[in-house]
Amino acid sequence: MATPVTPVAETPSQPISVLSTQPALFFANLQPILLLGTVLFSFRSLVANPVGTLLGLAPTVAIVQTLYCVICLPIAAQVEEAGRKAASRAGAGVGVGVKKKGTKTAQDPDIWAKLVPAFLSMTLTLVLSTPLLYIFTVLFGAPLMTHNAHTLLLALHLALLVTPHLYYVHGLDAQTWLRIASLQLPLDETYGLSLGALAGAWMGAVPIPLDWDREWQKWPVTVVVGMYIGAVVGKLLGGYVVKGWRIKLS
Amino acid sequence: MSEAQDLQSRNQRASVQFKTQHSLVVAFFLLLFVFHALGIYLFCSGFLLSRLVLQDRSLCDTPPAAIGSAYSTGTIEKGCWHPKTFDKAVVILVDALRYDFTVPFQPKPGDEQPHYFHNALPFLYDISVEQPQNAFLRPFIADPPTTTLQRLKGLTTGTLPVLIDAGSNFAGTAIDEDNLVEQLFKAGKKVVHIGDDTWHSLFPGYFEPNLTKPFDSFNVWDLHTVDNGVNTHLFPLLEPDMRGRWDVIFGHYLGVDHAGHRYGPDHPAMTDKLKQMDGVFRRMIDKLDEETLLVVMGDHGMDVKGDHGGESDDEIEAALWMYSKRGVFGHHGNEPAAPPLTAKERAVGQIDLVPTLAYLLGLPVPFNNLGRPIAEAFLGPRGDYGKLAEVNRLTAAQIHQYQGRYAQARGLDESATSTTATLWQAAHSTYQRLRGTTKSQDLRTVSDAFVAYAEENLRICRGLWARFDLISMGMGISVLIGTLVVLAIYAQGIRADRATITPLLLSFGAAGTAVGGVAGAAVGLIPALSFTQISAFGAAAGGILATLTGLWPARKILSVPLPRTFWGGLCFLVTTLLCGGFAANSFTIWEDEQLLFILTTFGVLMLGSSLGQEYKEDRVFGAANAVSFLLATRLSSMSRLCREEQMPDCRSSYYASATSSTSAGWQLAIPFLVFAVLPSAISLSYKRTKNYQGMGVLWIRYAMRIGLGLVAVYWIMDAADDGEWFSSISKSDLRTWRVVVAQLTLGLAFAAGYSTYLIAGPLISVEETEATDPAPEVSLPDDVLQEDGGIFTPMPTTTAKPRKKIIILGYANTHGSRYLLLPCAWILALQLMQKPMGQGALALCMISIVNLLEIIDANDLRHSPLGPTLLALMGCFYFFKTGHQAALATIQWESAFIPLRSVRYPWSPLLVALNTFGAQILCAMAVPAISVWKVPPKQPGLLGRVAGAMATHLLFYAAVAVATVVECAWLRRHLMLYRVFMPRMLMAITVLLLVEVVGIGVALVGVRWSILSVNDVFGWPGTAQDQEEEGEEGEKEKKKKKEE
Repeated sequence: MATPVTPVAETPSQPISVLSTQPALFFANLQPILLLGTVLFSFRSLVANPVGTLLGLAPTVAIVQTLYCVICLPIAAQVEEAGRKAASRAGAGVGVGVKKKGTKTAQDPDIWAKLVPAFLSMTLTLVLSTPLLYIFTVLFGAPLMTHNAHTLLLALHLALLVTPHLYYVHGLDAQTWLRIASLQLPLDETYGLSLGALAGAWMGAVPIPLDWDREWQKWPVTVVVGMYIGAVVGKLLGGYVVKGWRIKLS
Repeated sequence: MSEAQDLQSRNQRASVQFKTQHSLVVAFFLLLFVFHALGIYLFCSGFLLSRLVLQDRSLCDTPPAAIGSAYSTGTIEKGCWHPKTFDKAVVILVDALRYDFTVPFQPKPGDEQPHYFHNALPFLYDISVEQPQNAFLRPFIADPPTTTLQRLKGLTTGTLPVLIDAGSNFAGTAIDEDNLVEQLFKAGKKVVHIGDDTWHSLFPGYFEPNLTKPFDSFNVWDLHTVDNGVNTHLFPLLEPDMRGRWDVIFGHYLGVDHAGHRYGPDHPAMTDKLKQMDGVFRRMIDKLDEETLLVVMGDHGMDVKGDHGGESDDEIEAALWMYSKRGVFGHHGNEPAAPPLTAKERAVGQIDLVPTLAYLLGLPVPFNNLGRPIAEAFLGPRGDYGKLAEVNRLTAAQIHQYQGRYAQARGLDESATSTTATLWQAAHSTYQRLRGTTKSQDLRTVSDAFVAYAEENLRICRGLWARFDLISMGMGISVLIGTLVVLAIYAQGIRADRATITPLLLSFGAAGTAVGGVAGAAVGLIPALSFTQISAFGAAAGGILATLTGLWPARKILSVPLPRTFWGGLCFLVTTLLCGGFAANSFTIWEDEQLLFILTTFGVLMLGSSLGQEYKEDRVFGAANAVSFLLATRLSSMSRLCREEQMPDCRSSYYASATSSTSAGWQLAIPFLVFAVLPSAISLSYKRTKNYQGMGVLWIRYAMRIGLGLVAVYWIMDAADDGEWFSSISKSDLRTWRVVVAQLTLGLAFAAGYSTYLIAGPLISVEETEATDPAPEVSLPDDVLQEDGGIFTPMPTTTAKPRKKIIILGYANTHGSRYLLLPCAWILALQLMQKPMGQGALALCMISIVNLLEIIDANDLRHSPLGPTLLALMGCFYFFKTGHQAALATIQWESAFIPLRSVRYPWSPLLVALNTFGAQILCAMAVPAISVWKVPPKQPGLLGRVAGAMATHLLFYAAVAVATVVECAWLRRHLMLYRVFMPRMLMAITVLLLVEVVGIGVALVGVRWSILSVNDVFGWPGTAQDQEEEGEEGEKEKKKKKEE
């Protein structure tokens, strides 16, 4: 039997936990309220003027997500270190209680070490995730010729909900991202937030064809609302209920 | 030596065993097909049932009510129930003459400019305005379905159409109830018919044989033959010396309808056609004498694309025009004399023509008639309400008599007819009270009272005849659900080799069917029950229960057929959502967009899954194919044909414009693009596993290329014919050549394609090279393998050094590449039958199929329900992308004339089926490829895997059929039943049966040759050589050692 040519990952990754500082716990719980509140409060204007509202909301969401990264989440280096420790401990046969200790033992970086990755995460979200998600939205059947601003802003919001924290905690390691794309990472708060937003957006498309003749059925209102609700539900599920679970694709 | 013989005999035994098992598997699927067919028959006989045909005939000397004082019982010469107005009549039917073709264009907001079909036939309107006493023009509303056959029935019998006839446009059968043509014939009138031959299948033997001239009606490419023929044969009859030879002429022009089907209404051809008709009527009235009535009417309208069959406003709004040299027509005093400018005002029903013509010509009104006389024909120039009241009273009496007989024959309850009884009493007492009056106002009151009765009666009949036989429907539904359960267990609940337990299930099932059928027949002999229905139900129920019993001995290897994997769960979820969605009209209407959404969901997840593969090769190759799948799906989604209900949120791109049914110029490039790209795209997959050799090269590089080239040439010739590019070549020459090209293509696809498929060996070749000593069997480094890409077998020879190694090129995908030749042959025929845009979509479908096979291999999902389910979803999706919708009007009837010049049975309906369900056919054929793609030649249990995949594929269609059938039964009073739910249900059951036929007759049967040819070369699994080869099978590099 031939050995694997290039295996995707040698070490099983661990679910990410929110930093155990007081502000981190506080903001991690505030974030879903902020996200949900923002979109629900502006629902009326979202229906009346989707482009303007989505454009106006984008900076707010971006700030909430940046703060979430900076205040609540460990940076990629910490996660990697924790992963290595967990792996070595698991190898030594001491596998219990790894998750919590991992973040504690890591050296706390200073504020700049957090702000720079957060800024990079946001930049990547804007220049990489948004165009990519735009393409996927079109593949799913979003209008190609019309409503370009609507779809682009939808992709932007989706990118803001799905990717900044993933860049922040996982960096740009290709193997990790392959595992993210193939749903192999264990579920946790950050991954749950992303998957929840995607699933919510998916479900948000369902009511569009119904002949209820409601103003809110117009593109892309339902999808936007769906992804915000999905993100919050996914975060709560991933953080509390199914933390550490893995999706088995095959 | 004896060992070799032993091996040979064991291989022979295995081969025979395979053939037996294969036949039994095919037989088991046929049994499932029978269950489905019986279930569908039972459901349809309850659901599509509507009206009992009474055999009674109206008689000239027995009027339905005492005849009024002014007239005693009449004769044919003077008029049966009422004095006749005309001796003779010329009834001209202009197929698909929509009302707005005949009236001046009315600008509307958003529609300010007249179209090609406007103002081209002004004559009818103009003369009705100029001489209102000689002519009147009215909207003429058809009862759906708006197919010509159904309309002719309505226009001659005066009854409402029955649903089950909606699909029988290809085979009209004789009308066996009272009708105008039969009444004319019995009265000794000489009836002549010229035009559409549908009349002859409806009224065989009633027409004057010497003067009658039928024309083939379904050649919609031909705009002029029928019309010119009608003119040639009709006008001489109007000459004075011929007048004694006929009493009534029925002329049926088809050009307008054909122009609509071929080009759509908004096309210069339609202008020409309508102008031609205008001229015809101008000439016709010059020739008429005073005793002859001229009726011009449309039997239905057409939708924006020129098709019809449904019940949209554009399809039901035809025109009716009556003309006489004598000024006998009038109008209600409170209405204007000029014809209405839109079809929404002062419309008359098409069945109203029946009593009107009967009274005008002095015939008895046909017994089953429900229409009422058209007021304008009886009022006279001065508004003679006495005459109108009398004919309305007689008609109402005839309807009342009919209702009595019908209720008696059917055993109807009183409540259904109580409102009509009240109205009948009221009308009758009004009549008694005002008897003998001559005051116009009073006579109108009498007339209106009888009209009110006739109208209410018609309304009630419409409701009643949509009455469903719930018992029969229930039997059908339970049979379909039972079959679904059997299919689900067979597809997903058996954990061992399906092929080995199939014989058991088959014997139980067949025995149960026979016993159940006999038992059902015995019960069915009880007179109150329907013999055929009960025996059908007995057979199906017995068979299903026995099959389920047959599973009992095998219970150890069964499991509940519920999904246990991510992909299985997703397939289950998507199928359930889709089935549930068919209960909502919006989801049914927007099915095409949902399927895009679902396919993309699968594509994205397959992309993700591929990216997570352990081996780089799988990862890259799987992801590349997933991206190609996604792009092909989205690209093909640009081909759209919107259904009426999708408007205004949808823009069709299938044809040149929304109101046309010809392809745009740029679309003609698509067949050439397919010609250039498709064979190369398929060959890529063959080349990668070194299977591109022998018959593979012959078929894919040469035959397929030639075939697709012919297809492109055909559609260029078609466009040349449409656009009249070459005036030097006569149209008939062009058509002959076109038909020849099409027949060549079909010959290539079926004759050459099947020969290739049947005789081809495995697509492999053997290379023998000197192996370097020592240890030739040691595998070379991986990078070397990848460099030459060869799939090779180092073979140490038994003799001494130098040792040889034998490389078998194409070992990795022996089965898959061999089987895929079958869809590659069929695709030529399927491509030919599509319009250019549809060819692009179908080619993308084929590419997606190959992508899917590769993705499934890369992710090792060939045992998952993913492949078969996704193929079924693709079948549905590409059905829409090849220019169809779940609506009768989108059937491309004209495709029957691609390889034929005239209608020929059974070929014409088959050709239309190839066009309509091309995508489902292609996808069903690809199902076995999933199980055999890149498996080792001696993989055991292959047949069982193929059967499982096919059963899973059918499971999807069966689930959709069950869902739509149940939802139709549930929503049987829904406003959208006939417009949305019933067409989708009819499509679901048709597709289910068709996919079963293709899945069994083409795919499962075809697998036999593919597996035989491979295993006859490599030996059968379970024979001696087998053990030596084990161990290498799972490896990606597919190395194989073999001793010579």
